[in-house]
Amino acid sequence: MPVVNIAKDRLRKFFPGIKVDKVLEILPFVGLDIEGMEDNIIRVEYNPNRPDFSSDYGIARALRGLLEIETGMPKFKLAGKSKCIIKVDRQLKKIRPYVVALVAKNGRLDNETIKQLIVMQEDLHNGIGRRRKKTSIGIHNLDAVHFPLTYKTVDGSYSFVPLGETSSRSINEIIKESEIGRQYGPILQGLNRYPVIIDDTGTIISLPPIINGQTTKVDSQCHNLFVEVTATDSKAAEDTLAIIASTLYDAGFKIMTVTIRRQEDKDDRKITEETPTMDPKKITVSLDYINGILGLKLDIKQAITCIRKSRLDAKIIKNNNNKKTTTITCTVPRYRIDITHPIDIAEEVAIGYGIYNIEPTFPASNTAGEKNLLSNYFNAIRETMTGIAMIEVLNFSLTSKEIEYDSFQLTQRKEMLLSVDGSKSSEHEILRESLIPSLLEALSRNVHEEYPQKLFEIGKTFHQESTRESIIEPWNIGAVVAHGEAGYTEIKSIMQALLKTCFGKDVVTKATKNRYYIDGRCSEIVVDNKIIGTIGEITPLALENFKLRVPVTAFEINLSLLTGIH
Amino acid sequence: MSAGSSAEALHPIEQTILKALSSSDNDVLIDSLSTSTGLSIDQIRRGIEWLKFKDFVSIKESLTEKIYLASEGVAAVAKGLPERRLLNAAKEGKNTIEEILASGSIRNEEVNAAIAGARRNQWIQLIEGKIVPAQNQNYEKQSPEEAFLADLKDGTEITKLGQEQKKTLEQLKRRPNYVEIKQEKESRVLLTDAGKKLISILEEKEKQEVDQQQQQRRFTTIRRQQLTSELITSGKWRETKFSPIDVEAQAPTIFPGRRHPLVDIIEEVKEIFVGLGFTEIDGPLLQSGFWNFDALFTPQDHSAREMQDTFYVSGQKQPVPATKDQIQKVSDIHKKGWSKNWDLEEARRIVLRTHTTPVTLRHLASIKPAVGRFFSIGRVFRNEKVSYKHLVEFHQVEGVATSQGISLRDLMGLQKEFYAKMGIKKVKFWPTFFPYTEPSLQSMIYNEKMEKWIELFGMGIFRPEVTEPLGMKNPVLAWGGGLERIAMLRFGLDDVRELYSNKLAWLRGVPRCQL
Repeated sequence: MPVVNIAKDRLRKFFPGIKVDKVLEILPFVGLDIEGMEDNIIRVEYNPNRPDFSSDYGIARALRGLLEIETGMPKFKLAGKSKCIIKVDRQLKKIRPYVVALVAKNGRLDNETIKQLIVMQEDLHNGIGRRRKKTSIGIHNLDAVHFPLTYKTVDGSYSFVPLGETSSRSINEIIKESEIGRQYGPILQGLNRYPVIIDDTGTIISLPPIINGQTTKVDSQCHNLFVEVTATDSKAAEDTLAIIASTLYDAGFKIMTVTIRRQEDKDDRKITEETPTMDPKKITVSLDYINGILGLKLDIKQAITCIRKSRLDAKIIKNNNNKKTTTITCTVPRYRIDITHPIDIAEEVAIGYGIYNIEPTFPASNTAGEKNLLSNYFNAIRETMTGIAMIEVLNFSLTSKEIEYDSFQLTQRKEMLLSVDGSKSSEHEILRESLIPSLLEALSRNVHEEYPQKLFEIGKTFHQESTRESIIEPWNIGAVVAHGEAGYTEIKSIMQALLKTCFGKDVVTKATKNRYYIDGRCSEIVVDNKIIGTIGEITPLALENFKLRVPVTAFEINLSLLTGIH
Repeated sequence: MSAGSSAEALHPIEQTILKALSSSDNDVLIDSLSTSTGLSIDQIRRGIEWLKFKDFVSIKESLTEKIYLASEGVAAVAKGLPERRLLNAAKEGKNTIEEILASGSIRNEEVNAAIAGARRNQWIQLIEGKIVPAQNQNYEKQSPEEAFLADLKDGTEITKLGQEQKKTLEQLKRRPNYVEIKQEKESRVLLTDAGKKLISILEEKEKQEVDQQQQQRRFTTIRRQQLTSELITSGKWRETKFSPIDVEAQAPTIFPGRRHPLVDIIEEVKEIFVGLGFTEIDGPLLQSGFWNFDALFTPQDHSAREMQDTFYVSGQKQPVPATKDQIQKVSDIHKKGWSKNWDLEEARRIVLRTHTTPVTLRHLASIKPAVGRFFSIGRVFRNEKVSYKHLVEFHQVEGVATSQGISLRDLMGLQKEFYAKMGIKKVKFWPTFFPYTEPSLQSMIYNEKMEKWIELFGMGIFRPEVTEPLGMKNPVLAWGGGLERIAMLRFGLDDVRELYSNKLAWLRGVPRCQL
């Protein structure tokens, strides 16, 4: 989960006259988690549905509501048009079609504010921006930008001075050679022309989603900012810009709109729009719905107080028919992109009310509970097996090629493996098709423990005959017995006892060959003319590979086949 | 505990160690016990810990100074000390320092030491500035230093040296890089008085046992010891006297079969659910992206759906196991809420379920209950780096309840009751976020042993975007979380991997009931 660092000094500034501890105490009640504290800095984890928490301004905004310092919609006002223009070329249509922007004027950037903006930008990139794939943000020094700007494509030989460097480099070089280029360049893979924002003098100010130009670099001397967001999705672009606008507003900037002028494909018609659009959303919800969801009996006043504490505005709608139901219309500030449905309002009420104020009620059961049949069968199996001194083990379904195949030198079966993509551990790469290898692995971990060792496991196995067929995942039981005199007869007795005691089945064993067992000491387990498993003495090759020094016998039965339950 | 009663309760390892200690008068190096008893060093250390705990032995930690040959010392053993090399050169007729140096017998920096040493040993005389072997032929004998170096074994303790040797060592220490003295920590174990008493009791007992056995052997010839079937049926038992046996003697350890401790907890949780009116449901580990994510209103470009977090089965796509209507409705809600580019192909990918919720959803979608309570416990998967707190595969518990008018308060109540039945009394709730529930809460429980609050199950009411496309009319409460966390608290483990390491020592040893 994303993390924001908040300096205690800043909290004191945000909440004059309130103790920092008191502020920290209520953090969890807006869904924030204190992850750690170092001297002056508090690391706060927030949920990804609240990108407006990506700076301390956003967090302070919410806390002010809960502390009832300021409730209802936060103040926000656009200061009119900036008359700055971005022309959007139609070439972008298939690449990264959307751009929105704003101008922020007359603010002051101290180092802490710059830090907050950088973190916000990174978090928005990673969250809504899907690691810049969906949206990316460029923040510029407005005074260094020569309008009008053009958002268009250029070829890879075009060069500019990228942010943080002193000499000009071509786009191709930046993508191939710089660290940031290698990291985000793949988003532009396969293109022969690249999206850029170019100013009136022909200087690239931004190569989205990779890097800005050096000429518009922001530092603590800047008072005026220009922010652009390019995107593959218009909603994501507008949401991102709205959050930035609210944050910069709270940081003391005057927010002005930028004109986006795009050419439509078909005719030469030009579409012009002003961004950001900060119109709040309206959601209408009945009081009964809220009370129903929360299990509370709030009156209309209480509900509205709670909603306002969550920094929304709420208004009672007079009911025409004069029925008992009361309806509330909520006005949701533009940056609350997580609120889309009446159910979200119910949650805001709960948060405004305080989760800790809600007394749990236990709903009496109107149903009789039961375990399923398989659970009952497994319990019977466990009882039987433990009754003959078998110890239950648990192994992972995701195992390694080494355990499952190499230990038996089964190279030819490797193509039939069901494996997972991109596992972070080579110990967990393939879905096991048998329990026997992991049981042998369990024995090999216990060679220093007292023998006899008798283990069993109930677990799923995975099979697919050809890639087009669906994968089946039957439940199996596997058992191993290891000691100096372990032999076929003993394991057969155990297997017989299991099938007889649990299922009343008599069993026939028919000689067969199997990769796990010594030739001539292995058979199929047959019940009701169905082959349901195999049994035998494990090959010395496998024993050696698992570093076992005593004979081991084993059996494995497909319980899904036996019981008919999957 | 008195020494007498402890004798019964001794572990075989403890007995072996005590025996080894009793045969030595002094304290014994812990490391050397391993060779004398044949036990592994771990067993020895464990046994000694136990004995120490019971006050039968005490541990003496001491620093010992040991002597090791340093680089010059090693060279001297091989080539001789400088004074010896000087003497040999003189014997070959090289009588000035210049000649000797030129011959390479000694190095420049060795000249002073060589001459001083040779003179101290009275090996040479200086006659008119020339170096001549002494006439007394003292040099036929080894000097004390030579003898010392030749005999020195690395690691010899200083305290073991004789008076003369100590003096020689002092001399050698003055010569740079000949010997090195290292301080080493040693743990020695020593019988306490209680330990000595225990040993005499043990020895006494052993003697008695031997006597008894001999006696019994004599005894059996006249009177039977073992009650046999023949004695019973023939009635001869009436004339038979039964010898007493040593009912206080140790009996061999046997290991009962048993369920895995985690399975015990799973069963316990199932019983609690059943008691609260919940019915068990179960389903495949492999799920389509559709049921694992799409039906749960998780956007297709959500990071949880990336390979970095989730296991996809290589090269596998299967038809989505859902009705056309279900697919259409889920697709519509995604297009409305997230992205117009909702892609069926993404929904067809086969994923190792990241939670048990797809099983719950499929069940709800198939029977559309107006009233119902269901639970499932099963394995779920996350593509994580395995560590003491993360596994790639673990168990999730999940419960859902639906009925008309069921509310968040009820969800909190159900959760509280569930915890109470697990013996957890203190619970609190925070707001949180899950993509498919609203409102969403996080529960924290207070752990008495650790004296801290611990995050446990998450919960919420399924979003309308989840329930409506599946035809559910009433709110569905849902909660769930990892089971291993509970098991770790119960068994006092701080590494989650222990639960799956299948160590027999643990499986055989961990008590089934935690008192």
